[in-house]
Amino acid sequence: MTNTLRPVAVVGGVRIPFCRSNTAYSDLSNLDMLSTTLNGLVDKYSLQGEKIDETNAGAVINHSRDWNVAREAVLGTELSPLSPAITMQQACGTSLQAALVSSAKIASGQIDCAIAAGADTVSDVPIVFGKRFARRLVGLGRAKSPMAKLKTLKGFGPGELKPLPPSTNEPRTLLSMGQHCELMAQHWGITRQAQDELAVQSHHKAAAAYNSGFFDDLITPCEQVLRDNNMRPDTSMEALSGLRQAYEKGEKGTLTAGNSTPLTDGASSVLLASEEWARERGLPILAYLTHGQTSAVDFVSGEGLLMAPAVAMSEMLKRANMQLQDFDFYEIHEAFAAQVLCTLAAWESEEYCRDRLGRDEPMGSIDRSKLNVVGSSLAVGHPFAATGARIVATLGKLLDQNAGGKGVISVCTAGGMGLTAILER
Amino acid sequence: MQAAEYKHWKLSRDGDGIAWLLIDRASESTNTLSQDVIAEFDTILDALTSDTPRGLVIMSGKDNGFIAGADIREFEAFEDAARVTELVKQGHAVFAKLEKLKCPTVAAVSGFCVGGGYELALCCKYIMVLDVPGTRVGLPEIKLGIMPGLGGTVRLNERVGGMKGMTAMLTGKLYRAKQARALGMVDEVVSRHSNLRWAARRAVMQKRKFKGPSLVSRAVNSNLARDTLAGQMVKQTSAKANPKHYPGPFALIDMWKEQKGDRAAKFNAEAELFGSLLVSPESRGLQRVFHLMERLKRLGKNEDFKCRRVHVVGAGVMGGDIAAWCALQGMEVTVQDREMQYIEPAIKRARELFKRRTRSKHAADAAAARFLPDVDGKGVARADVVIEAIFENAEAKQALYKTLEPKMRDDAVLATNTSAIPLETLSTALDKPSRLIGLHFFNPVAKMPLVEVVYAPDTDQQVVSRGNAFCGQINRFPVPVKSNPGFLVNRVLAPYMLEAMKMYNEGMSKEAIDAAALDFGMPMGPIELADTVGLDVGLSVVKNLGGDGADAAAEVLGKMIDEGQLGKKSGNGFYTWVKAKPQKEEYEPDDKIEERASRLLKPFLDECQACSKDGIVEDDDLLDAGIIFGTGFAPFRGGPMHYLKTRDLPDSSSKESAA
Repeated sequence: MTNTLRPVAVVGGVRIPFCRSNTAYSDLSNLDMLSTTLNGLVDKYSLQGEKIDETNAGAVINHSRDWNVAREAVLGTELSPLSPAITMQQACGTSLQAALVSSAKIASGQIDCAIAAGADTVSDVPIVFGKRFARRLVGLGRAKSPMAKLKTLKGFGPGELKPLPPSTNEPRTLLSMGQHCELMAQHWGITRQAQDELAVQSHHKAAAAYNSGFFDDLITPCEQVLRDNNMRPDTSMEALSGLRQAYEKGEKGTLTAGNSTPLTDGASSVLLASEEWARERGLPILAYLTHGQTSAVDFVSGEGLLMAPAVAMSEMLKRANMQLQDFDFYEIHEAFAAQVLCTLAAWESEEYCRDRLGRDEPMGSIDRSKLNVVGSSLAVGHPFAATGARIVATLGKLLDQNAGGKGVISVCTAGGMGLTAILER
Repeated sequence: MQAAEYKHWKLSRDGDGIAWLLIDRASESTNTLSQDVIAEFDTILDALTSDTPRGLVIMSGKDNGFIAGADIREFEAFEDAARVTELVKQGHAVFAKLEKLKCPTVAAVSGFCVGGGYELALCCKYIMVLDVPGTRVGLPEIKLGIMPGLGGTVRLNERVGGMKGMTAMLTGKLYRAKQARALGMVDEVVSRHSNLRWAARRAVMQKRKFKGPSLVSRAVNSNLARDTLAGQMVKQTSAKANPKHYPGPFALIDMWKEQKGDRAAKFNAEAELFGSLLVSPESRGLQRVFHLMERLKRLGKNEDFKCRRVHVVGAGVMGGDIAAWCALQGMEVTVQDREMQYIEPAIKRARELFKRRTRSKHAADAAAARFLPDVDGKGVARADVVIEAIFENAEAKQALYKTLEPKMRDDAVLATNTSAIPLETLSTALDKPSRLIGLHFFNPVAKMPLVEVVYAPDTDQQVVSRGNAFCGQINRFPVPVKSNPGFLVNRVLAPYMLEAMKMYNEGMSKEAIDAAALDFGMPMGPIELADTVGLDVGLSVVKNLGGDGADAAAEVLGKMIDEGQLGKKSGNGFYTWVKAKPQKEEYEPDDKIEERASRLLKPFLDECQACSKDGIVEDDDLLDAGIIFGTGFAPFRGGPMHYLKTRDLPDSSSKESAA
């Protein structure tokens, strides 16, 4: 192993267009989407026959049959079959965490190249039987004699057949993510109008980016879909203000379907490598992944569930010896408009920065014109595990187009966790 | 692992004792069954019979598919029906050896498995297909004027019953993996995330085999059911094909109906009928059409040009429908017109097309999402192909090009859909006149498979190639045509239509004129055709091209147009149109029908010869292809130039000397 750390190059990424659940991809599985995405990446960078040292990928909503989904997806590509893969998961941070883990290995010299990827579908969800009936079925399989088989059915009631769909509610609070975020919005005093404005901007910026061709080489078609179908280029404050509250139905509720991300199907991938590996193959280096941080908050005791990125950012910047204002691009994943705005408010709050982040001074404001310049999840959608890789590839391209600069990424996840990362060029 | 080398096949046995037989036809990119391939197969089957393996798996040694069918190039050499029948019987004997092998036999298919390829698979005890987009299973022989000849008529009907089997053979349809499974044509669909080789091994180890026909299938094959069903089949087939021009399907139905219990007799009947159909002039014509079609498809593949975005200016009937077609084929299309209100009718028509032509609501929605109204013309800068389809006015078009050219990418194709204005006139407005081509679509776009790719003497040939490639990518046949009035298709149609008008003006009934054309084998009579394309369009063509009788025709058309009669689109023209159907009066065919057809077609054929002489397309084959796919000219006659050649042969059949 080498003693000095090596720079980690972001070569670039490819994703399929994201689609609202139960629309164009309703017949596809995570494996289908992940394979299509990886095939797109292989095409884009001519990786046919190439051995990739590690493909780090996963999904949040999983079928039990997909226990090895990353490796299966790799086997469905033209990559060398000698390319190993890891199926991993960290809620909405999955593919960003995948990128951080693989980057560390590239930096330390364990591997030379890696693909970080993620896929999620809410159209094809695993629906399982309750524990009681499941135990019966297992027992039935194990029973040898007809009598023993019959015994396993003792006490059976039709109620046991009720299927259990997967739930994205927080297991400890049984509140949905939106309900938690509404609590945060109330706490930080984030208005409905501010949230709607952020949402409108996200749609408009994404649409402008599409029209300028920004996404052309970041997207590979899937099911003949060529662009994200959640995007509303013509949306407006008027259109959004007409929507009803989605989580807190009373007057004080601020979150709506318009300023929250919809359930989305999609997959994305990004190729990381050492400089030498990329150069030897004539591949581009869009940027370098230089820092990463994962943090968590004690939401069970009352902290805001989605405030962890605020903490992660603070810790990462301390370690990197950087200021919040040092960046040219801020890619803050828009799970909810309110999540972004709460995070920004927290960094501006003297009290929060002092008491929670242990800082003498507030981290301060950011230049909002540098925030999510080509739109983010509110416009393009949010297939949980796919979002991180989408953002790394997007930010890489932004830095490359800008021919330099620094960019920072923030992603919140279920379970009160947050991930941040820095890309530099 | 022991392996034996053959020229077209690779045979090996693995440690489990399974024999793996790969077909990999030498010096060909696609597997087809030539006499040579079958002879070698015979030797292999003899070896397998005398030393029976644990199981046999037949797969392709090529990536592009399994077997595309018999090698139809060999057909052309055959002239004697009895000789063909003899060869078919030899083929039957070879395939019977496969059927009789005393071990599990599996056909493991990825990609196309059609015609003789599927007939070979039918001799295996178990057929599995990989669920990839390219997988197609079917018996399309009927499209060549023949029918399955390697036991397909017997084995498919045994497998799925005569109702499904005959439907597959009469329509010649090719089925995707899951459709084929649903019909019972194959036994297993292998997931694309799985692996064909291991699935085949599993099938051998578990001795899987076709479960046998369902009760319904067996009932359908009974004598009583066949009698009734055959009647219905004849009726349905007559609605699509004239028995006089296309005897194949009717003979096939007859054969099925008359089948008696003995299996050997069924195979013999198949061999006899196949022989007589193969050497018939109708089949010859259709085989020729097949070759021409393959040539047009190849034209679209010559250039390394991938079109993803199309910008269409002008959302009228042609522009809107071209845009909708491109979106349906997977392109992202921006559609520009002066105001949103001019694009809205096109959106409505596009949505109807998507609904009709996609397999699910989601696919229709995805297509609709690719069809983007674009009043500001934002799409021009990113388009790979820009198609101008505004009204026929040279100044307006030139002015438009001046605004388009600076915004377009250097490598993007600029095309006009004009049918009247010379390319040379339009291109003068451009900084780079050599970049303009014509992409002349026909109405209705979704039904007409041909696009004329028009070029002038100074046009960049690479742009022409890209135009061809674009046509291929939207599933249309390109025919490159030198710029000249009417290009190819309208130039040939115009004198024919004028002749029809002349006959009409002489007092002949429009029904009689149309019937004569149909009798010759045209898909639609000239009077109905005039109504369908629109009398206003017809008038502009007549004015543009002139010709014998043009003035008289223009007068008649002008008068009708003044009264608001535009043809199908206005509900009345020569015919009254109700629910998109012309109301025709009863017409009893008389003995003058062939004479009338002959008069009607003479100017058409004369003009084809003139086009040939002028060299406006590369050669007479391409001319025939353009005319067949552009006008629907009687496919079984093999194209106008071919028809002229064969008609003048001394030994041509009576049917052919009719015109």
